[in-house]
Amino acid sequence: MSSHIARASGENRTMASETEEKVGVYICYCGGNISDHVDVEKVAERVKHIPGVAVSRTNMFMCSDPGQELIMEDIRNGAVNRVVVASCAPALHELTFRGAIQRAGMNPYLYEHANIREQVSWVHHGEAATDKAGVLISAAIAKAKLMKPLNPVRVNSKNHAAVIGGGPAGLRAAKDLSGQGIKVMLVEKSPFLGGQAARLDTLFPSRDLAGELVKHLVREVLNDPDITVLTCADVVRSEGYVGNFKITVRRHAPESEDHLEKLDIFRKSSASAGEFVPFAGVCPSEIPTRDEEFTVETGAIILATGFKTYTPNTGEYGYGDYPEVITLPQLIREMSLNPSRGGSLEINGRKIRRAAMIHCVGSRQIPGIHEPDAQGNLNEYCSRVCCNATLHAANEIRDRYPETHVFDFYRDIRTYGRGHEAIYEKASHNKLIFIRFEADEPPLVEKAEPGSPYPLKITVRDMLTFGEMIEAETDLVVLSVGMQPGDVFDLADMMKLPKGPDQFLLEVHPKLRPVELAKTGVLLAGTCQAPMDIGEAVLAAQAASVKVAALLSRGYVELDPFVAEIDIEKCKGKGNCVKACPIEGAILPAEREANGQIVGYAEIVPALCNGCGICAAVCPENAIDIKGWTLKQYEAMVDAIATA
Amino acid sequence: MESKRELKFDAVVVGGGIAGLQTALDLADQDFKIAVVEKDPSVGGKMIRLSKVFPTLDCASCITTPKMSAAAHHKNITLFTYCNLNSLVREGEQIVAAITQIPRYVDPVKCIGCRQCEYGCPVYVPDEEQGGLNARKAIRIPFSNAFPQLAILDAENCSLCGKCARICPTDAVDYFQKPEDFVIRADTAVLATGFRLTPADQKKQYGEGKIRNLVTSLQMERILAPHGPYQRVIRPSDGKEPASIAYIQCAGSRDKSFGVPYCSRVCCMYAIKQAMLLSGALPIADITIYYMDIRAFGKGYEQFYQNAKAMGIEFVKAKVASITEGEDQSVELQYENQEEGGVETRAYDLAVLSLGMIPDWNPQGICDAAPGEDAFIKSLMPKSSPTLTTMQGVFAAGAALGPKDIVDSIIESGAAAMEASGYLLEKRRRT
Repeated sequence: MSSHIARASGENRTMASETEEKVGVYICYCGGNISDHVDVEKVAERVKHIPGVAVSRTNMFMCSDPGQELIMEDIRNGAVNRVVVASCAPALHELTFRGAIQRAGMNPYLYEHANIREQVSWVHHGEAATDKAGVLISAAIAKAKLMKPLNPVRVNSKNHAAVIGGGPAGLRAAKDLSGQGIKVMLVEKSPFLGGQAARLDTLFPSRDLAGELVKHLVREVLNDPDITVLTCADVVRSEGYVGNFKITVRRHAPESEDHLEKLDIFRKSSASAGEFVPFAGVCPSEIPTRDEEFTVETGAIILATGFKTYTPNTGEYGYGDYPEVITLPQLIREMSLNPSRGGSLEINGRKIRRAAMIHCVGSRQIPGIHEPDAQGNLNEYCSRVCCNATLHAANEIRDRYPETHVFDFYRDIRTYGRGHEAIYEKASHNKLIFIRFEADEPPLVEKAEPGSPYPLKITVRDMLTFGEMIEAETDLVVLSVGMQPGDVFDLADMMKLPKGPDQFLLEVHPKLRPVELAKTGVLLAGTCQAPMDIGEAVLAAQAASVKVAALLSRGYVELDPFVAEIDIEKCKGKGNCVKACPIEGAILPAEREANGQIVGYAEIVPALCNGCGICAAVCPENAIDIKGWTLKQYEAMVDAIATA
Repeated sequence: MESKRELKFDAVVVGGGIAGLQTALDLADQDFKIAVVEKDPSVGGKMIRLSKVFPTLDCASCITTPKMSAAAHHKNITLFTYCNLNSLVREGEQIVAAITQIPRYVDPVKCIGCRQCEYGCPVYVPDEEQGGLNARKAIRIPFSNAFPQLAILDAENCSLCGKCARICPTDAVDYFQKPEDFVIRADTAVLATGFRLTPADQKKQYGEGKIRNLVTSLQMERILAPHGPYQRVIRPSDGKEPASIAYIQCAGSRDKSFGVPYCSRVCCMYAIKQAMLLSGALPIADITIYYMDIRAFGKGYEQFYQNAKAMGIEFVKAKVASITEGEDQSVELQYENQEEGGVETRAYDLAVLSLGMIPDWNPQGICDAAPGEDAFIKSLMPKSSPTLTTMQGVFAAGAALGPKDIVDSIIESGAAAMEASGYLLEKRRRT
């Protein structure tokens, strides 16, 4: 008996020396971003003396190769077995450092990050900043000492993707994914494929026909046996996680005004299913007459839910007050329906001698100048495509109807893209009369004076002629309306997807990860993320597809290991955690046999658990911990902060 | 005759800037084997040389290094830096790239990046990595967060004193290193060859590069960068802290006298960003941006512009007609004031030419991907498959396909990777 105890304690001692915590602390200057406000060397010197700290080093850019090499070298020669990096927000570099640690042969989760940039140097200055950096690093060290190696949760993934939205972005994504050997379900709300592109005539800058583009994209999708297309379909439920989503789709008879209007166009055209109809799109299948529901298991979801055009308020530039005020989409449609040439443009039987385009309607709105909508939102953003679209339409007018003159009221002409400046230049050659206004003095559209040969009069201060007030009489006012995100808020709420202050869906990082959402496995394609033109939406769709291809290519996905863990010795099966868990199915009640008795306990489904910790908080037995974020670790961090 | 070394990859990516790296990462994450060929001694492209990026004001180094590091350490990516692409041709079903490794005069296997050679070198020359505003040594690590961290000797300026070879602890300096030719065979290629700025010295009216305190926008990026040439904002001629700074927009874009009729798409935003950073560094300085149209068209850009206006940065709508050096080394701008009328002259302590973008590479004689009228690589199907070039199996991404900011380059890189990967799989199914 005694020898058994002695041996056991001897073993423990050996193990203790092998796993003795040797924390390496690596503090970054961030090229001045941190060191301008935090005395990095002083902090490094302070934390060096904390028990358990083996080394404390600094570098100009810890994320650079020489910086990473510092860490790897210490790991390789056994100097450290826990790593604390103090630098920017972990969102930027957590993966960089985990990668370096792994390459050096250590478990990548034996790593803790102290954010001394966003939480310190960017918000505090002087001695206080240096002190706070020291405190945060001390807490990280305290936590690091209690870290254990972790392994990611590996789950099999479905080789299937769901694309929501059947415009150019959705069509392109579906086709690209199928080319990767991934089965695709394309879900479109309306009865038609082609999206808003079906409502265009010629495209800028090439003058190619939008209809041809839509036909090409739709044909590729409909001819592909690996793509299932569901039109008239709404996503009504979504659950699961990357690799294993389950979405429920309901097909139903079209209800929305917009869909019914398109159906009307389609029926009047006497086209059959599969044919392109201008201003409607391609109707690929029968319209359902009763509700049907489908549930599909899918590995990833691409949102390509598109945009809607801004509807001007009544009275905004005379919209709704005067029939001669229309929007750009209305002009495009009118011109497309009447393909005549020569003389003057005619709209509703009226000869248009003069037309006036007004830019930035529902875009670039400024608080205090523009009226917010019913929800209190202002479209402060630029809608990106309208300058090109407006000048392109103006050029079409001038090319086709030499007797129709065009005024162009703008704030800045944003013909930014390849071939776009030429549209602007052509508009000048086409003798458009440009008038530049300031946001706080927009053009005033009124009824013309009695006796005037024109119905409308526009008054504005023109900044191109030294701020003089000018008046222009016109037959037609065309409002260049901006883009707003499509009606996806139900879907966004259901899937808990974030949207930005501009109401568009919010990417993880606007610079580096523009098509990814914080929810892994759900991606953004096209104008649901921001205004863009068709080519740009197609690019975004392809960028989203390549992420899906990478996610699903291995047949499994790896998820973060920071999930709940139950100590079944302590668990009494009371079920508080099961009730409190916000994710259905992440904790399940279970039973086991112990000492000849059946006892209840809780079981975690790691793939579903998001590590929120609510279960740990409600457990009366302290039987639950979140791996990598245990209660003991929190206590140690708090103690370190209190005593630092 | 010694036969050339031949290497086999699934795809070769030409250019190791942000577009090339992102393309390589998106392909490598699908387990394709990728070669990245970069002409500079380090990957990272223009982005790693920037101060901060709009509209997030993230420091460029902080967000570029993870990409560089991820590519450098990816098991499926091999980086070939300091390499010239001599030709990229189709041979049957394959794309064959003939490449020359330019000598670093330092053995890449032996060099440990310790910089002892650099510290010891007695030769100082203007550092192009810092816009020529301060000095570097003839042998040096290109810049602090360069990858790879290998020293490189500039043979043109080396005095052959032998000091570096004596100092080097690993005997890595090799004055007799020769260029090495090798061949990469791949199934597909992506051109991510990027841009350079329109030359600052081409326009007579803008002083032909002789005005001392008229800097280029990339020089200003370096001045604003935390590890820049001066570590603070001063003007080059005399080290004075500028009290007034002007930006001349469309200097080298939308200007036929430069041969660049198109909009370079990023200059409005980088000028606004730099103006914001300057007003942070020099809170009392007057900053004026002379512009034709402010093109803040991307996500969050218009709001960024409005913030700059609210911060007190002055925006004057005018195309600057001419620039001369004035009294006290000031920079004088002549322009027509469109809002109030009349030709005006205003002097600034420092002025910045917001230069545009031109292609950094001409495919002529190297590969069959045709350029467009604007000399950037031509996009075969700009609306439905924008990254297709006129050469089968060869795709393009980023500024190679026309001026573009970082986020648009990243998206386009993903798209090019998608096309390349689709092409690779299709080919495998066929054969």
